[in-house]
Amino acid sequence: MLRKKLPFLRSLLSSVSRHVGHLAGHQYDVIVVGGGHAGTEAAAAAARVGAETLLITQKIHTIGALSCNPSLGGVGKGQLVKEVDALDGLCGRAGDWAGIHFSILNRRKGPAVWGPRAQLDRQRYRDFIQSELLSTPRLTVLEGSVEELLVTEPNPEEPGHHRVTGIRLANGSHAISARSVVLTTGTFLSGSLFVGQTTSPGGRIGDAPSSAGLSHTLRERLGLRTGRLRTGTPPRIVKDSVDLSLAKLHLPDSHPTPFSFLNTHTHCKPEEQLPCYLTFTTPGVERVVRESLQLNCHIQQDTKGPRYCPSIESRVLRFPGRSHQVWLEPEGVTSDLLYPQGLSMTMPPDIQLRLIREIPPMRRAEIHTPGYGVQYDFVCPTQLSPALQVKSTQGLFLAGQINGTTGYEEAAAQGLWAGANAARWALSMPTVTLSRTESYIGVLIDDLVSRGVTEPYRMFTSRAEFRTSLRPDNADLRLTPKGFEEVGCVSSVRYQESLRVRNSLQDALTALQALFLSTSSWKKKLPSVPISETKSTLLTGLDLLQYNDVTFEMLASAFPESLSSYMEFAQRLKIEAVYKPHCDLNKKEIERIQREENMSLPQDIDYFSLPVSLSDEVREILDRVRPSTLGAATRLEGITPAAVVNLLNYVRVTEKKKETHRNQRHQEAQRDEELCANSASSPQ
Amino acid sequence: MLPLRLVCGGIWRAAVHTVRTSRGAPPYRLLSSTCDGAPAALADADTIFALSSGHGRCGVAVVRVSGPASATALRCMAGFTQRLPSPRTALLRSITDPRSTEVLDRGLVLWFPAPRSFSGEDSVEFHIHGGPAVITAVLQALGSVPGLRPAEAGEFTRRAFQAGKLGLTEVEGLGDLIHAETEAQRRQALRQMSGELGRLYQDWSDRLKRCLAHVEAFIDFSEDELIEDGVLNRVDVSVRDLQAEIERHLKDERRGERLRGGVQVVIAGATNAGKSSLLNKLCQRPAAIVSPIAGTTRDVVETALDLGGFPVLLSDTAGLRDSSDLVEREGVRRARERVEQADLTLVVVDSAHLPSEVDRAAAFLREHLSSVLPDTGRCLLVLNKADLLPEKQRQKLDMELRGVSGLPAVCLISCQTNEGLKDFLTVLHSSVKTLCGDPLFGAPTLTQARHRAHLQRCAAALAQYQRYRDTDLALAAEGVRLAVTSLGRITGRVGAEEILDIIFKDFCIGK
Repeated sequence: MLRKKLPFLRSLLSSVSRHVGHLAGHQYDVIVVGGGHAGTEAAAAAARVGAETLLITQKIHTIGALSCNPSLGGVGKGQLVKEVDALDGLCGRAGDWAGIHFSILNRRKGPAVWGPRAQLDRQRYRDFIQSELLSTPRLTVLEGSVEELLVTEPNPEEPGHHRVTGIRLANGSHAISARSVVLTTGTFLSGSLFVGQTTSPGGRIGDAPSSAGLSHTLRERLGLRTGRLRTGTPPRIVKDSVDLSLAKLHLPDSHPTPFSFLNTHTHCKPEEQLPCYLTFTTPGVERVVRESLQLNCHIQQDTKGPRYCPSIESRVLRFPGRSHQVWLEPEGVTSDLLYPQGLSMTMPPDIQLRLIREIPPMRRAEIHTPGYGVQYDFVCPTQLSPALQVKSTQGLFLAGQINGTTGYEEAAAQGLWAGANAARWALSMPTVTLSRTESYIGVLIDDLVSRGVTEPYRMFTSRAEFRTSLRPDNADLRLTPKGFEEVGCVSSVRYQESLRVRNSLQDALTALQALFLSTSSWKKKLPSVPISETKSTLLTGLDLLQYNDVTFEMLASAFPESLSSYMEFAQRLKIEAVYKPHCDLNKKEIERIQREENMSLPQDIDYFSLPVSLSDEVREILDRVRPSTLGAATRLEGITPAAVVNLLNYVRVTEKKKETHRNQRHQEAQRDEELCANSASSPQ
Repeated sequence: MLPLRLVCGGIWRAAVHTVRTSRGAPPYRLLSSTCDGAPAALADADTIFALSSGHGRCGVAVVRVSGPASATALRCMAGFTQRLPSPRTALLRSITDPRSTEVLDRGLVLWFPAPRSFSGEDSVEFHIHGGPAVITAVLQALGSVPGLRPAEAGEFTRRAFQAGKLGLTEVEGLGDLIHAETEAQRRQALRQMSGELGRLYQDWSDRLKRCLAHVEAFIDFSEDELIEDGVLNRVDVSVRDLQAEIERHLKDERRGERLRGGVQVVIAGATNAGKSSLLNKLCQRPAAIVSPIAGTTRDVVETALDLGGFPVLLSDTAGLRDSSDLVEREGVRRARERVEQADLTLVVVDSAHLPSEVDRAAAFLREHLSSVLPDTGRCLLVLNKADLLPEKQRQKLDMELRGVSGLPAVCLISCQTNEGLKDFLTVLHSSVKTLCGDPLFGAPTLTQARHRAHLQRCAAALAQYQRYRDTDLALAAEGVRLAVTSLGRITGRVGAEEILDIIFKDFCIGK
């Protein structure tokens, strides 16, 4: 399915959408602000759902830019990429197109925690994303800067509740109206850049800062609580100036595994892949960090930075006297730069040079672009619904770093979900949610909206309670049918393919269970497998497949007539067989959580006056977080069993009242109809 | 005492629900609650059971079972092999232990198929005799039925609520009820957790959390970070040690459960020694018929009592003698059986039968003991009817029988004049206390079957880690996760964030 050639897209894109004039006064269903990983997925998903969509970004040619590391996926993040792909998102296919070094991390630790990952060619990634957006029906791309978010005055009957009506562009008075707006402003919301002791406004080096108007609307007009986070990026190194013979060579997998369920191979041929290199910091690095501390304002400020993606400064300060890993990664096939993963730093450029030259392969290295730090505002995500819609503002959706996350994959996942929901909202369809029991995207969103963030949020497999069920290999089975049937963001081609896969896997498992032989017969069929005679005398093919040293291929060659037609699923079947007993155990707990998640708590409850028995402390927690469902309330810290029962009671009572009300209305309507039908003076 | 109301068959029925606050709280309660901060499941497909009548002295105890495996429980414990009894009809049945097929009690069983039951699920009630021993045995037998587990806090009520069995007016105060339960449980948990037992569980929990954090770190970060190779090996050692410790703890001769169910004290001896009088003295009411006619007591008379804070199940037995009377012979057989099962036997002797010389008296007592006790069971010698002895001989026996080798503690008493009773009670109390294992000074013991169930699950989960350690680390980690969750049901919930905190404290994650 990989397209062989990308069109001459950049010239096309710019010619199509740089003219703003004809857009003024135009009504869109969805406007997406920002063209990063969240924005592109949001715009594409909204258009797939069927909304007339406008993507507004500062520079068209930076759409799909990888601002930081040139890689995609990894442990936990790879699961997100697979899930975005299962929902027909862009990043998986873009990764397959742009990847130049593929590897499955955690290969020896079990398929549930495999981490598909690729080093990317920055240019190819951008090309693919831009080409995709250009060929997406119903999607228009516009270059511009958004000055203001347009919202209605709050409804006097529902104080504090606004509705989005569109945006106003900077440098002109153009207002463009839309029913939904998705904000994916990344690090640009009140962003400041830090290098050494200099600070300048902005979200990324080389780009203009975004206007203060947006930030003002969110805080002052809509009253949203915001916080401040920081992140950073390492200097880019001139490849020719590095002596890679002093670093450890790290080769990719000899058979690259594509991210996308639609691809059987990657764009890059196995033999064309580029290696990475591993090296280590020296005591000299620590010395340079300590000597330059007073010249480093980013590191001195106490804004929350990530614990797991820290700068080299905080690494050596927190764990002194150690040698830290530094990966030297290619930036692309034709790029002459290297990306030193692990060396994010914010000291003055001359000291950055001193620091990297303390590392043996970089003794004579030259810096192409210095590293820098960014501080930016995020909106406390507990103010969002699980559809990523701002609770107090109808039609306003947020995705990506604006919600306090870090990472391309986290941004893409939220973007897709926010975009699909923005489209559904605009088209008057109910918004949809993903449970943490069925996907990493669900875990991500639930963690954000029900717990909030105190530091940039990154996905780990340890965050998923049902890790053994939420595997990278089965993301299509988990999400593609739902994406087509309930969300509308999946193409029919992909849907049909997922059904074919699901049915084939099901048939194959049935065929395996139908092979019912005694241990002695199995021994004859598979002489190399140590089958213990003392075990139960009859075993199925499925039991056998759970053995460590039995592969599906072995069974298929022993029973070609019943199994050989499923050879394309050999690996998936092996994984299914091994995990089945554990997933069956998970199922009960999953069902319980889903039941609780099906009981929604109205967003407009006044918890302080709710006429049920709740302690002040519990009321305060509920009022602050406003969980969307009983399930989310149950997971909050400080919520007691008694409180849950009282809430449950409340939900039941309100549902019952609503039902009675509905029934009454229905009866009245029926009466009216009868009256109309019987009446000669009916207007019809 | 908190009187609580329970629901049965869709109507409110009052049942006194006793929560003892002065000492170790009863283990099986209808709304026995979790100690963790997390609200328990609202409903799930497990089958749960609990003692739903009050714990303590009661004539009849009601044990409830609710969930899909209720019918299984009824089949294997009340001997319904083919058809289940007709719904909502009380039947008198022998209630047996499915493991040993031993008869535990005879009592009423009722079958309430879904949805017409108090919880809306299939459920069963066992109405059994109220003695702690019988209750404990029935609850333990239920615990051995596949798919059954002790109920968590408010689980029965919540299930009833989920099934829409409670009307809106009935639900008023439900939150308060569960709150009271949780409070009582919290107080009990605090008492338990501040002691040595609490420290033990907390230590296990800390070690387990660390194991989990290290496995999770190895899974999430080892590909990109410097996570020392030895991390998993250290986890292996910890997991093995923890599993061994927990299993050892589970085999602690059930000392803690004795505290919960009561120490079984049996009064035994020859006919007409005054055994029933002693029982009546101890429980301060005429529980047993007392008469000068030898062989008055023909069956076992059982009374639960509180001895200085320790629950004791006191049994009076038929006097041991050869008899041609069929009924009396059965009584003697039961007496001997009961003595065999006793934690402590009070061997009562009529002082008037004692030889006057101390040496000969000691030999007489030794011989008598060996005829009453099977082997070296724990016992106290009670020399009754001391008022019938001359003052001089009384003092001599009292002085000289103490510390004679081969004899247990000897107490000279008179149930008639109450002479020596106070000293006897002190001796009895200290023996019972030793048996229970003093919760303040003794080794930590299991005090709740719930704890036992969670600990067993924890140990089994650790075995899963070892099984998958070399082939699939995700499944091995799942074992440690399950172990942490199981132990967390006793010590408090452990969230993903807490595990991540440990990871970031212990490792430099720098990607």
